[in-house]
Amino acid sequence: MAKAPQMTSSGQPIRHTPLSTKIWNCRGYYLMFIPVFIFVLIMHYWPMLGIRYAFMNFRAFGKPTFIGLAHFQDMFHEKGFWTAFRNTLELSVIKLFLTTFTAVVASVFLNEMNTLWAKKSLQTVIYLPHFMSWAVVAGIFSMILSPNPANGMVNGMLLNAGIIKEPLGFLQDKHMWRAIFYTINVWKETGWGTIIFLATLSGINPELYEAADIDGATRMQKIWYVTVPALMNTIIVVLILNLAKVMNLFESVFVLYNSAVLDVSDVISTFLYGKAFAANPNYGYATAVGLFKSIVGGFLVLVCNQLSKKVRGRGIV
Amino acid sequence: MKKIHLFDVINYLVFILIALFILMPIWKVLCDSFNAVGVYQFQLFPNKPTLDGYRTIFETKALARPLLNSVITTICGTLLGLILCTLGGYVLAQTDMPGRGGIAFFLLFTMIFSGGMIPEYLVMKQLGLTDNMWILVLKHGINVYNIVLMKNFFEGIPESLYEAAKIDGCTPMGIFLKIVLPLSKAALASIGLMYAVSVWNDYSTVKIYIVNPDQINFQYKLRNLVMDGDTPTTSYKVATQTLQYAGIICAILPFMIAYPFLQQYFVKGVNIGAVKE
Repeated sequence: MAKAPQMTSSGQPIRHTPLSTKIWNCRGYYLMFIPVFIFVLIMHYWPMLGIRYAFMNFRAFGKPTFIGLAHFQDMFHEKGFWTAFRNTLELSVIKLFLTTFTAVVASVFLNEMNTLWAKKSLQTVIYLPHFMSWAVVAGIFSMILSPNPANGMVNGMLLNAGIIKEPLGFLQDKHMWRAIFYTINVWKETGWGTIIFLATLSGINPELYEAADIDGATRMQKIWYVTVPALMNTIIVVLILNLAKVMNLFESVFVLYNSAVLDVSDVISTFLYGKAFAANPNYGYATAVGLFKSIVGGFLVLVCNQLSKKVRGRGIV
Repeated sequence: MKKIHLFDVINYLVFILIALFILMPIWKVLCDSFNAVGVYQFQLFPNKPTLDGYRTIFETKALARPLLNSVITTICGTLLGLILCTLGGYVLAQTDMPGRGGIAFFLLFTMIFSGGMIPEYLVMKQLGLTDNMWILVLKHGINVYNIVLMKNFFEGIPESLYEAAKIDGCTPMGIFLKIVLPLSKAALASIGLMYAVSVWNDYSTVKIYIVNPDQINFQYKLRNLVMDGDTPTTSYKVATQTLQYAGIICAILPFMIAYPFLQQYFVKGVNIGAVKE
């Protein structure tokens, strides 16, 4: 919507209405905002007051006592914390680049299909896994990959084919866990990721392809010199929007990890969960970890917001 | 006669393989959910077909109750979410309203900073929302990102439509109900589906806030059934895997059925958020 006009259409300056009149005229809008205001206040702002616990010794029993920055000192000296921080960045970023890459490749080649019904049905199929919850996906894959050949389909197939002698505990193996985590993410989110790229591709000017035809370009050359450059801007936007969320990685790891692979899979949120719901938890310490996560996450949102403004002229938030 | 290119042949073959890679796990689960006993290798059709897995889910209170909770919370969460995001989006779209900047900041700040898991947990506990399935409705009901999406959508509605109604003496609420909402059906469907998926699929909120078995949702129950040693053989008269697979199918069925018909709304939902330049 345009800004309030300073001039009428006939060119005469408008007399400014006093602020109090403006506010009174908008009373309907303020009333309509009240429900949203109350919910946001309770669900988002009230918990922010609890950040003070990060500076307190606070357990389930006994009075909280102020201890300053002691929790942060403990946290920065804890090995598990840094492992979790590094894992969060590695898992999120690699996952982001992999799923974006597969989504770009899939949409480029889907775009080459001339049979509309085939393209549409393939899209329907590859979007499917997106609607499954992480709890369901973890359930399906942990059963399929189970080391028990009685229900582990993959182990059963590999044993029958003589590729392995002993069943493998895929999700219990430190060396395989990450590869499986990325594979499951690619399986689940690639299709959904293509939506935004396909929307961009449908907007490419057909004249570009015609010009390439006249120059005698092959199919692959057209993909490489016309289609891919047209996607570049969208790829950057998708990467920026998702980089802002890297600290949020939680549920996908939470449902797939286990104590055997903690070193390679524990992320900040799961680390925090472990601290918060341990026996006799120190709420103060867990709040401090959460505050660290919020600050880093907020910083990333602000950075990505600036990048987004530069690239596409509007921010995320 | 059109010439068949090698490129097209390879392209179709690769995509058929990809489709199989995606469908095979789903097919295995579907097939084995109808299988009374037997090999749990991959097979195309159940060798001993039975509906016992599904019957057990609907007849056992410990399983039917979470399923019902999931249905209730999904419906309520979607309705609450739609009410709040349309109200918020509509107010935010009023550019010449005094205090709009402050309201925008009030909302957007929550996207940058949050209290974190423990402070949120303690507040919910004070409100009596731990061990209470309504936490799912409230947590998903207020979603600032969707408010911004709705605002972007409302800004696309031509202003002349409001102006005419304002001159006719329509109140903001009247304009909202009589003009804005009827023009936004597609956006409401898209965003409503986003809410429904997020509430139905939520596992971690239940894991964090709820212990009482009467209040858990189906995703949580399913997780226990499949992974966390909630051994069904002792209490249910059906093979463990049959029940587990049937549970997985129940958890994905609502959206699997609805989605081919509503695909355009799902797709539109993604594009409202991202492509709008």
